[in-house]
Amino acid sequence: MIIAAAVYLFGGLAALATLLMLFQRDPVKAAMLMLAALLSTAGLYLALSAQLLAALQIILYAGAIMTLFIVALTTTPAAWRDKPAKASFTKVLGLAAAAVILTELLKLSAALKTAAFSRAFSETGTLELARALFGRFAFQFELLSLVILASIVAAVALAASSGKPAVQPPAEKKEAA
Amino acid sequence: MSAYPLAAVSFVLFTLAAAGFLTCGSLVRMLMFLELMLNAANIALVALGPGTVSQAYAVMLFAIAAAEAGVGLALIIALAPVFKTLEAENIRELKG
Repeated sequence: MIIAAAVYLFGGLAALATLLMLFQRDPVKAAMLMLAALLSTAGLYLALSAQLLAALQIILYAGAIMTLFIVALTTTPAAWRDKPAKASFTKVLGLAAAAVILTELLKLSAALKTAAFSRAFSETGTLELARALFGRFAFQFELLSLVILASIVAAVALAASSGKPAVQPPAEKKEAA
Repeated sequence: MSAYPLAAVSFVLFTLAAAGFLTCGSLVRMLMFLELMLNAANIALVALGPGTVSQAYAVMLFAIAAAEAGVGLALIIALAPVFKTLEAENIRELKG
C-alpha cells in the first residue's frame, strides 16, 4: 500500500514537472523542472527497492548531467537562446505523434493489468546488484568505461576553444570553394 | 499492486518528453527532453524487468546517458558560436 502510494506520488510529480517543462520558456527554469523530474524518479527507484539506482540517479543525473546543462546554458550567449515563434503546424504534428505513441504504448501494455508487481521491498538489492555487475556482467560493465573514455575524448576535442574551431562556418566554406 | 501503473508512469513520462522533443526547437531543450526519454525507459526497465538483471542494465544505461549528454552538449557548444543560434530550424547546413 505504501509502495503503491509512493509510486503514484513520485510518478505524478515527475510527470507534472515534465509537463510544466513543455510550457516553460526560460531554459534555466526548464532545467530546474528537469531536476525536479529527475529527483522524483530517484524517489520512484527507492519505492521499487533499487537503492543504488536512486543514489546513482541523484549523483549522475541530478548532479553531473544537470551541471553540464547549466554550464552549456551559461556558456552560450542569451541572445542565441531566444525562441522565434515556430509554425503551429509543426507543434500540432509533434503533439499528435506523441499522442499516437502514448496510445500505442498503453494498448500494448494492457496485458500488464493482470500481471502483479509482487516484488517485496528489500534492503539487500544493492549487494545482489554489485554481485551481478562485478560477476555476471563484469565484461559489459568494463566495456562501459571505454564508452565513457571515448565520450570524454570526443567532448574535449569538440569543445576545445583554443586553436581553430572544430566546426567550420558554412559561409567561410563557400568563400573558400 | 498491478504492474500496469508502473508501466503507465514510464509511458506517460516518455510521451511527455517525446512531445517536448518534437515541439521545441532549441537544441539544449531537445537534449534535455532526450535525457528525460532515456530516464523514462530506465524506469520501465527497473519496474518491469526481472529484479537484479534489469537494475544492472539500468546502471549501464546511466553511463550511456552520461556519455550522450557529454558529447551532445559539446557538439552544441561547438556549433553555437559558428551558427550564432541554438535553434535547430536555423541550422540547415552541416556538411559541404
